[in-house]
Amino acid sequence: MADLSRRALLGVLVAVPHSAPSAVQGYPKARDAVTIGWPGDVAGWDPNRRFVPDAQPIYKMLYDQPLDQDPRLNLVPGLAKAWQLAPDARSLEVELRDDVTFHDGTKLTSADFRWTFHERIAAGHEVDTARSWRKVVDIETPSATRAIMRFGSPAPTAPAWLAFLGSFVVPKHYMQKVGLAAFGAHPVGTGPYRLAEHQPGTRIVLERNDAYWGPKPTMRRVTVQIINNPSARAAAIESGNVDLTVAMPVRETARLGHIATLEAELNPITRIILLQVRDDAGFADRNIRLAAHHAIDKQALSQAFYGNAAVPLSVPVIPGSPGFLDDFTFPHDPDMARELLSRSGYSPAQPARIRMATTRGQFPADYDIARAIVGMWKTVGIEAALEVLDYARYFELNRAGRLPEATLYSFDNAIGDPEAYAGYLLAPHQPYSPWKDTALGEKVRGLFDVPGEAERIAGWRALNREAVEIGACMPLLRSVQTLVRRKDLAYRRFGNGWVLPQTMDWI
Amino acid sequence: MARLAPCGRRLLAIAQRLLAIAQRLLTVLLLLFIVLRVLPADPAAPAAEIGATRQQTSLDEALPMQFAIWLGWLVQGDLGHSSHLDRPVAGLLAEALPATVELAILASSVAVLLGVAGGLVLFALQWGGWQGTGGRGTGRRGETRAALAETGTMLLMSIPAFLWALLFILVFGVLLAAMPFTGRLDPGLSHPFITGFLLLDTLLVGDPRAFLSAARHMVLPAVALGIGFAPLVMRVLRASLIEAYQADYILQARLRGLSEEQVLLRHALGHAALPTLGLLRAQCGLLLGAAVLVEVIFAYPGMGRLLVDAMRNTDLSVIQGVVLAYCAVVLSANVLIDGLHLLLNPRPRAR
Repeated sequence: MADLSRRALLGVLVAVPHSAPSAVQGYPKARDAVTIGWPGDVAGWDPNRRFVPDAQPIYKMLYDQPLDQDPRLNLVPGLAKAWQLAPDARSLEVELRDDVTFHDGTKLTSADFRWTFHERIAAGHEVDTARSWRKVVDIETPSATRAIMRFGSPAPTAPAWLAFLGSFVVPKHYMQKVGLAAFGAHPVGTGPYRLAEHQPGTRIVLERNDAYWGPKPTMRRVTVQIINNPSARAAAIESGNVDLTVAMPVRETARLGHIATLEAELNPITRIILLQVRDDAGFADRNIRLAAHHAIDKQALSQAFYGNAAVPLSVPVIPGSPGFLDDFTFPHDPDMARELLSRSGYSPAQPARIRMATTRGQFPADYDIARAIVGMWKTVGIEAALEVLDYARYFELNRAGRLPEATLYSFDNAIGDPEAYAGYLLAPHQPYSPWKDTALGEKVRGLFDVPGEAERIAGWRALNREAVEIGACMPLLRSVQTLVRRKDLAYRRFGNGWVLPQTMDWI
Repeated sequence: MARLAPCGRRLLAIAQRLLAIAQRLLTVLLLLFIVLRVLPADPAAPAAEIGATRQQTSLDEALPMQFAIWLGWLVQGDLGHSSHLDRPVAGLLAEALPATVELAILASSVAVLLGVAGGLVLFALQWGGWQGTGGRGTGRRGETRAALAETGTMLLMSIPAFLWALLFILVFGVLLAAMPFTGRLDPGLSHPFITGFLLLDTLLVGDPRAFLSAARHMVLPAVALGIGFAPLVMRVLRASLIEAYQADYILQARLRGLSEEQVLLRHALGHAALPTLGLLRAQCGLLLGAAVLVEVIFAYPGMGRLLVDAMRNTDLSVIQGVVLAYCAVVLSANVLIDGLHLLLNPRPRAR
């Protein structure tokens, strides 16, 4: 009897897994459905409310923007089929499509455009778009498809912002009728998908909007599985629980790339990894800031943590974008770092002491990069106490002006405009900048209002250089998006890292 | 009157028990209130937002008044609004609480099933079978088996639930690809929401595919959570059985001619179940605590997952709501187990 039990037990242990080879896909794998493993959830369903870069691709399934971007990040028509910025950049006229309906069947008009970018902000809704569209003083709506945005000061980047963070058109009638809370529970947009189910922190299910005005997505159903932990995402793609996932450690991505059914990618994107710095406390001395920057071997960081896929940066913009400087390099020079520190009375024996913060797991290898930098600094005479922050805490401290002297961060800029880099990183009046020096801040503020494109870009390029030369920021690397997908799943790759299920297809 | 007396005593005992629960709940509420006021306020909130929040939360009032107002809101079922998810906390809890309770019930069942089976085996090994040689005469082979079993349970006890979770994902999820390990349902299926208990809801809507999918998604998290608690049940049950088999009533039962199986099922196991129930009562809070990590690892949409996300986003209203819900669940489970204890324990019933 005992032997029989043992045999039975062993039999069960051996048989159960093998008798269920398709157990993970307990449902028939549909050719028009896809499951994505995503690192984070949306911050509510009001797309204007919070600027969370990782949530933008999810919002882009439900909502549309007046302008869109192609994979090379050029502005292309979205809800607006044409747009014209005035030469003085004080007004922007848009011509909306007349064949767009919201998910509830009502037609999109210029009233919805006005509501989104002016009325709801003026009404005091707590939306982050109140900051990005702060220059809007009025929006005229001469017809149901025409809208003219009026700005209090020149807004040269207004067209780009119509395709950027949070600029999704929401329905005026529905929002007013049901209220913000109900809208959050049952969102209505014009996008290619409508929300079928949302379990906060766990999964989002979207069903195709068959009345969509644009190209119909192939995928009828999209499931976004929220998996915070990078290793769990790796396990999910490896086991077939998800079809595509992003933001995993580089080594793990490389390992998964060796699996026959999977394709692993390291895609350079428009985000930049940098050290945001303060201009006071342990970094009040410019020599220490510059020494800290000279001590960092960016190429070594790229090689160690990104397999050389991340391009080292000298200015806070990516190569090929308008604000980039081909003729400027900030060198890795430990001797120069020691020299600068000695001028201020510091050495490895008597180090300058600062605090440094980093996220851990927010982007690939963040904590490892921070530890490597601390090591590099130590060799020249800077002792940094490293602390780990989560994303929410980072924003709290930054807005309160309480970040430490240096903070490792990955800054998003899906449009690639220099204003969206240095303009927000170095503007003391913005909540994204720990740098509070008003001398540089005034220059930044002035550049926001320059209407002429050539003059504006030249201004940002000069400012980028100056910021690095005075140690106001330490650009490190161009971010790399790690992505693993099933080989038979095709998607359109965007330079800003968007992963859009509406572009996906099984091959 | 004399016949009513035990009933009256029982009512009094129940009333005292309920009063004690109310006291504990109030203490937790007070602690929670104080802790959340001690935490630094969210400096990220813009001035307008802080003003609105202060008005909404009556933060301008004196602390005792704030506490009273907060209690009033709780009584009305108003647990506040999630600043991160932009949704009422009560709604979020209504979705997450049943998921966690469902997981906890299944994990407890796993712990009890494995624990009782293992406890009986341990007892048989150590006691030399149901006939009970009292540990004497089991021989060297029996002693070795008992020692091995002891070491096995110690090993099982020393592995935390989250490690089981990772191990199961690696073995059954990745290597064998036999079981799903994220969420509660396959992507192709819809989640019916009637009671929030997914297994029940899928049955109520008559969707066997969804039921099977939900059941399969529950296996790994429930076993990972329950397996760590099974050795405790095994050891307590074994010790209780040894104690029971030394009691006179077992001897009397045998003298009455009952078979060993009848002695075990009718007398010994019933007696041994009481300390085991006491153990489950004590472990209830720990089980829910372990569920937090297990939920995170399996991307399981319960309260643990909600709590971790809320902490990550400094979403104080949600943290507050989840802690309260945990407290309510633990206290309710304690009441249920107490009731069960009362049903099974012959002594209070006889009094």
